[in-house]
Order: sequence, then C-alpha cells, then structure tokens
Amino acid sequence: MSTGPVSWEAPATLDEALALRARHGDEATVVAGGTFLGILLNQGFIRPVRLLSLGRVAGLREIEVAGGELRLGAMATHRNVERHPGVREGWPAIAHAFSVVASRRVRNQATVGGVLADADYASDPPAVLAAHDARVVLRSPAAEREVRISELIRGYYETCIASEELLVGVRVPPAPQRAVYRKFRSRSREDRPCVAVAAARAGDELRVVVGAVAQTPQAFPEVCAAAAGRRPDRALAEEVGRRYAERIEPLADARGSAAYRRRVTAVEVRRAVEALAEEAPDGARAADGRAGREGRP
Amino acid sequence: MIAVGVDPRVTGAQRYSVDVEREGMLHAAFVRSPHAHAEVREVDASAVPAECVVLVPEDVAGLGPCGCQARDQHVLAGPARYAGDVVAAVAAPTREAARAAARLVEVDYEERPAVFDAVAAVAPGAPLLHADAAASAQDAVSIGVRPLAGTNVCHRFQIHHGDVAAGFAEADVVVEEAFRTAGAAHAPMEPHAALAEWEDGRLTVWTGTQTPFNTRTDLAGLFGLAEEDVRIVAPPMGGSFGAKTFVRTEAVVAALARKAGRPVKVVLDRTEEFVTLNRHPATIRVRIGARRDGTLVAKELDCWVDTGAYADCGPGVATKLGYAGVGPYRIPHVRVDSLAVYTNLPPNGAYRGYGAMQSVWASERTMDVLADRLGVSPLELRRRNLLHDGDRFATGEVMHDVQFERCLQAAADAVGYEDDPRGKGLCVLLKGMQTPSRAAIVVERTPVGFLLRSAGCEMGQGVRQSLRLQGAALLDCEPGQIEVPDPDTDTTPYDTRTTSSRTTHMMGRALAEAVADLRSNGAGRGFGEIVNEGGLDPDTGQGVASTHWHQGAAAARVAVDEETGKVTIRDLHAAVYAGRVVHREGAELQNEGSMVMGLGTAMFEALDVGEGQIANANLSDYNLPALGDLPARFTHELVEREGAEVHGLGETALPPVPAAIGNALYSLGLDVRELPITAERVLDAVDGREGAGKAAA
Repeated sequence: MSTGPVSWEAPATLDEALALRARHGDEATVVAGGTFLGILLNQGFIRPVRLLSLGRVAGLREIEVAGGELRLGAMATHRNVERHPGVREGWPAIAHAFSVVASRRVRNQATVGGVLADADYASDPPAVLAAHDARVVLRSPAAEREVRISELIRGYYETCIASEELLVGVRVPPAPQRAVYRKFRSRSREDRPCVAVAAARAGDELRVVVGAVAQTPQAFPEVCAAAAGRRPDRALAEEVGRRYAERIEPLADARGSAAYRRRVTAVEVRRAVEALAEEAPDGARAADGRAGREGRP
Repeated sequence: MIAVGVDPRVTGAQRYSVDVEREGMLHAAFVRSPHAHAEVREVDASAVPAECVVLVPEDVAGLGPCGCQARDQHVLAGPARYAGDVVAAVAAPTREAARAAARLVEVDYEERPAVFDAVAAVAPGAPLLHADAAASAQDAVSIGVRPLAGTNVCHRFQIHHGDVAAGFAEADVVVEEAFRTAGAAHAPMEPHAALAEWEDGRLTVWTGTQTPFNTRTDLAGLFGLAEEDVRIVAPPMGGSFGAKTFVRTEAVVAALARKAGRPVKVVLDRTEEFVTLNRHPATIRVRIGARRDGTLVAKELDCWVDTGAYADCGPGVATKLGYAGVGPYRIPHVRVDSLAVYTNLPPNGAYRGYGAMQSVWASERTMDVLADRLGVSPLELRRRNLLHDGDRFATGEVMHDVQFERCLQAAADAVGYEDDPRGKGLCVLLKGMQTPSRAAIVVERTPVGFLLRSAGCEMGQGVRQSLRLQGAALLDCEPGQIEVPDPDTDTTPYDTRTTSSRTTHMMGRALAEAVADLRSNGAGRGFGEIVNEGGLDPDTGQGVASTHWHQGAAAARVAVDEETGKVTIRDLHAAVYAGRVVHREGAELQNEGSMVMGLGTAMFEALDVGEGQIANANLSDYNLPALGDLPARFTHELVEREGAEVHGLGETALPPVPAAIGNALYSLGLDVRELPITAERVLDAVDGREGAGKAAA
C-alpha cells in the first residue's frame, strides 16, 4: 500500500541505532519483528517515510537470568521466551503467556520489544509482565531509564517512549512464589484474548492485572491490598473477581461486548486467584489457559 | 532426485491468475466510494500524473449493463450503492503508482439514505437501490427472475405445495421459530486477479473464474460484441469457494485496457476482497406442524436473503435456500416465500453451500425444538419423516437414489447418539445441483496420450485430477498421459459453470460420451455433451429443482463452560453421499475443507457491517478457524453405493455443521438462534435457560 521510496536503515550496533533514532525522532518508524507493523502497512493505516530496523543490532536478542533477575532483550522473539529453559523454570507464567500468542509462525517473528512498544490493548505479554512487576528499559544516546508497564502503556497504541528513546529490554524481578496467566479467548485458539488475567502471589502480596478489557492493563492495588495475607480460597477469589469486574470500564470489540467482558472478568479473575492456591504438579503440562508450567513443545 | 508427482502448488511451479503477464501491460487500481449510498456528482482526475490512464464515468456511459441474473451493474457505479463500490479506476506502469494515482482522484459525492438489513429493506419507505433493474436475458440457464417492482426485492421465489392452512389444522403441535445467519467472507488465499487485452476489436481476459462462459456472455453484452469476439482464459485459482463467479473485476480492467490501448491487469488486496463478494446474511422464519406421533403435516418458511447492492446470483441463492429449507422430509403441505433483497452492503453471491447453510440452520434447529415439544428423540423424529426413493418432494419431483437415512444414521453412530444424546446434535440436509445445465468436453489424441478440452475450472478442488482419473479409466491409459489445459472459451466447448459441485458428475458423464465418440468416429477427436433439463417455476416452486441430489448429515458433541459461554467441540463428524468415488483423496479433502468452513461459519465468522463499512475487513479481526480449533475427533465418511453414479460432494459437509453444533447446545437447554454461535450468545442462552426454567434434558 505504501507509495514513494521508503528508506530502510538497519544499523548493526545499538549506539548507531540510538543515534539514528535521536536524529530522526518519530519520523523513523522502528521495526522489530514486523508482525504488527506489517498489518498496519498492508492496510494503509500508516505510510512511514523511514524505517529503522533493529533486526541486525547485536545483543538485543539475549535472554538471560542473572542475580535472580530475568532480562529479556527487546529483539527476543516470543518463541525464544516461551522455549527458554531459564524462563520456563523460573517464570513459568511468563513462558506460558508468550506461548499462547497467535500461532507459532507469528511467535517466531514477534518480539518482546515490539509487543510492548505497540501497546496494543489486546496483546498477551503486557498483563503478565505487569503482574511480575517488570521494568521496561528505555534508552536514549544520553541516558537510560526504567519504567513499569503501567507507566509505559498510556492508552491505545500510546506509550511513554520519547522520540529519542528505544525500548531495549525488559527486567523482571525474581519470580513470585506462584503466578498464573489465563488467556480467555472468545473465538479461535489463534485469536487475541477477550479477557486476559495475570495473577501473582509474592509473600503476602497479591497482584492481579487484567488485559484486553480496556485501553491499558487494569490493576486495582486497593482490591489486592485488601486481600493481602488472606488465603486465596474460593471466597476471596470470588470477592477479588467481583471487585475487579465492578471497577473496570470494559471496551467492546469483535471479541465481546462491554457487559460480556465485565462478566467474564469476574469469572476469570476468580479462576486465576483460585489457581494461585493450587500447586502445579511439577513438570506437568499445564492445560491451555491455565497457569503454570509449559510442557515440552 | 526425480520430482515426479511433486505438487506444483508446493514447488511454486503452479501459475495462477495473479501470475499472468502480458508485454506492455499496465496495472490497475480502483477508486472506491467511502459512502454506502451516494450520488457521484463529479470525478476530478486532474491531479493524476499524465503517465496514468483514468477511467471516469464518461468513458463508460455508452456501455450496457451487466449481471448474471439481473442486469443491474455497470462498469463504474453511479450512484455508489455500497462503501467500496468502484466509481473510477486508474491504470499505471506499476501497481504502486496506480494506487498512488487512485488516491489523487477527487470524487464529489452526495450522500443518500442507506439500508443495511434485508428485513428493513423491504419495509415501506426504505431507501430504494435500483429503480429499474431488468432481469437478465443473457444467461441461458438462468432462473426466471421475479423482481417486485418499486421495492428492493430483486427476486421472489415461492413454493406452494398442498394446502398449508389445512395442514396446520391437522397438526397437534406447531412450532414457530426465527433464525439469523451472518455475512461471511470467502477468504481464498489468492485474491481476485484479471488481465484484459484488446486486439483488433477482440477482447481477451485472463481471469481466475469459475464461470468463463457466463463471464464471456456478460462482457460481450456490455461491450456490444459478438460472444466469439470475447475470449476468457481461466488459469487455476488459489481458492475461490464461490467468490470468483460472474463478472467481478473483469469489466473495469477491460474498459481500462480499451481506453489505454494496452493490456491492463488488476490484483485486489485483502481489504478489497471483503468488498467484492460475500455470503448472503439471512433471516428465516420457520413454522412447522406435526401430529402427536411425529408425522410432519405442514411447513412454512419466510426468508429474507440479503444480496447486497447488486443481485449477482442472489435470485438463485434465494431459490436454493428456499427449497433446501424444506429439508429432506415428506411434508404434504408446504409454503415457502424467499426474497432476495437489495441492501447497501457489498454484493453477496455464491458461497460454498449456496444458500443451503442458512436455511438448513433454521430448519434443522427447528426440528430439534419440535422434537422437544413432542417428547421424541430428534433422531427418531427425523427418521420418521425422511424422504425415500420414490417419495415426492415439495417441488413435485420424485426422489431417486435417496440416502438421507444412511447419512443420518452414520452421523448419529459416529457420536454414539443413541447411547446418550446429551451434549450431542444432528443435522441432515438436501442440497440441489445447478439445474438445468449443460456440460461438454472434447478428447483428442496426442503423441503421448490424450488431451481433454474442458471448461471445468481448477480452484484447488482437483477437477483436473478427477478428469484425468475418469479419462484414464475410460481410455485405458495412465492419468499422467492425459493433459488438461486451462479452460479457454476459444478452444473448450461450452459448460454452464464450475459451481454447485457439478463438474465431476456432469463432466464425467460428458467424457464418457466423448470417449465413445472418439472410438467410433476414428478421427482422433471425440465430443461429448450432457444436457440436463429442469428448473423450477419461481411462482409455485414446482418442477425439477435438481437432477441429482447432494445428501449429507453431520453430528457434533460439545462441552460448554457455562460461566463464560465458551463452547468446546469435542467431536464433529460428517457423512456425505458420494455414490461412486472417483478420486478418494480429493473427495476426503473436500469433506474436510467443507467441515472446517462449516466450523468457521458456526463459531467465528461474521462480517461486521455496522453502518455499511466493513469494520473487520482483514484476516486479523475477521476470525477464520485455525488448525488448533479443530475438534479432538474430527472425522468424516463417504457414503457409497455399488453401481451408483458419481455424486457431487464439494460443498455438502459445510451446511450441516452449524445446525449440528446448535442442536448439541440445544440438548443442554441452550437455545442459540443466530450464527455465529459466539460465546456471548451462548452465555445469553444460559441466562435464557435459567430464566425459562427449561429442563436441560
């Protein structure tokens, strides 16, 4: 759909990439895996004049576990994340969330940085990363800063990334004792979520983040705080679910009306919190949409 | 390594319509109306670069109307009758340049009121789309079209069989239900593609089409040419499912090529596919009466079939939908009133199943409601009323080679229906083949074997392989010795079209005659032709609906998350009557493909038409089924009979899938009336069951 010459720049180092980004600012559309950008281009929603590819930048594909922390490079693919032994062992809910995105063909291409920078309300990773209290690393030629997912994603396809910054990676703190990601699809197995619930229990703390129901991932710390220290039994789970459902202002799309999303949010939050109480059998393959460890591919 | 038998579709050797090129050709892009209904006041192309050729309304003012069943289409639309209607076109040296130039064409529109629902479109005061569309006389095998003057009804098909008032008076139980189905996209992998070239006043069009001869007739009428001065070549298609039937892009590229004096090619993009041809949404009201013992006595169907902005083959769809909705049952008193209705949506046309899915959904869901009221098993109710050999259908014709009971029983057995019907549903259907129709074929000797000249179009269904296999059996040679070139109206004899699962059946019979001719005449060339007479009187529905019946059944087993309405289909089975199987692997793939499309229709697929703009015109938002959506048990069978003739089976397993799934839900007390069966609709049905206090079983 594009017209006219589009310049394509593919620097080999992060410094070069940052320099180009700083020079061209928002005129340079950053290309990561291209799965989302390709759709936008094909449909003519955007007509960029300059494309800045991070595909050749050394070091951005790394996934490493260091000092108990998980570091995901911006160019690590979904498939890299879901298959990485360290992620599967230490952060199984994150591995699971990346493993249920779209199809394997898409996951081989789509990246960690791309999905976060797109800030699409119906993506899986933001909610699960938020529930793990992940920090997104934004770098400019002069500085680096870290922001939470809740700061990064401001609205529909809108982030806090400045025009001279690039999203270079994600840092995830040591995993909570138990975390789950439930992807509720109202349609095909390859569809985006209608309601996505990530829940984590770290010590006494409960974190619940609901994705795909509003412009940004939804978390209500006051609801979670009221549940802190209580056993995540059915009654507590129902209460948290009900309160989340009351508080969200759901959107409507082809995957469900606002009223439907509110109702499913109550059910899925309840199920996620209940699942926190369950101990996943070691090495067992978690059922689709359920929490826990992913089995062998 | 020798690549014998490697599928050219896999190696990339297969050339499709999108691959056709001619020297000096230009590429076309279309200027489409953003409005659902608007007068085109002025087209200003002054900003378009001089290297481009622009087709504007004045260029086509002298060209006649076209349309396979109603002549209601022009090369360029004026007024625009749907968002996406082509109001101008540009040809340029590259596709990109053409698209850029098309954006520079300024069109001044004056918006008109629009209507997006077929029931609303027949209400008094609805905006009218076509003041004076004439029935097409061009299609030699067209049905008698019955437009209602001064309305948006472009065709009314009726069946009057027996006396329904008397029939209902005999009924102990009467059920009346209304159902709806959504519009759907065919979504073939290859988009529409066509290339037109003029030489000495003669027009040649290479186009991915299922209807080369119908397209030739329409283009000849449009440009005022003799049919022999139009040549249609039909390369293989990368899928069609009915999307590539009748004139689609061909008229615009032909007019552009004429103005440019050079060949012009168009390849649509995915978004354009969603505004080119879709499946008819329908609203269907069913009223059915039975005696206490389950004997059906009367049935009424009222159908509103949304054909969009142009009739296309909507009259044919409304007709087939009308009689398929009667179902494969003996019912002494039947009334059907089926309307093909214009709305300001993209045109709807042929789609695998051709109307049967819509009315089978309504009719077969109603059968289970009736069974529930009568307190009999849905399987038993069907068995008690199924048509058998020698029975008379509502059209008055006597049924032959009838296998409904075998298909139904096979489907029921596949899910253990008689052991425990809970969570399980059945559907049985009858579907007709294009009648009347003609098929002809030429067989010629070549140095290595034989060559078959046939207008049977390859769209992935395997028509060439089925002809080779039938030819090899008749000619006593290897299939590899038989060459089957692309259909070409200059060199292949007339065939009605490659639709309605008719080609293996009809062309196979013609081939037997051609081989006999070859053997007897000693000339190295044989000709065979089959002519099927028949057709229905559109005012009474009496006559011969189909010379050959497509018969099938499906069974489903489901599980429901009643807190979210999410349905898991555990088993899905289809049983399709095949008569004699020609190409087993191909036939099995047809069943599977039909079932997958049926699954999409049942669960996911719906065009979001809102106020006339298709909001999900892409394959990200428009939800097609993926491999992961197939049930754990996804099975099918070909029901065969010794000595039977070849039966068409390219579509039969699609229409019964939605109703089988809907009836499985109904067995759990979940009554869903509208397709697709979204999780949200199922949750509403859960609420409805609790509200109604209806017994689950």
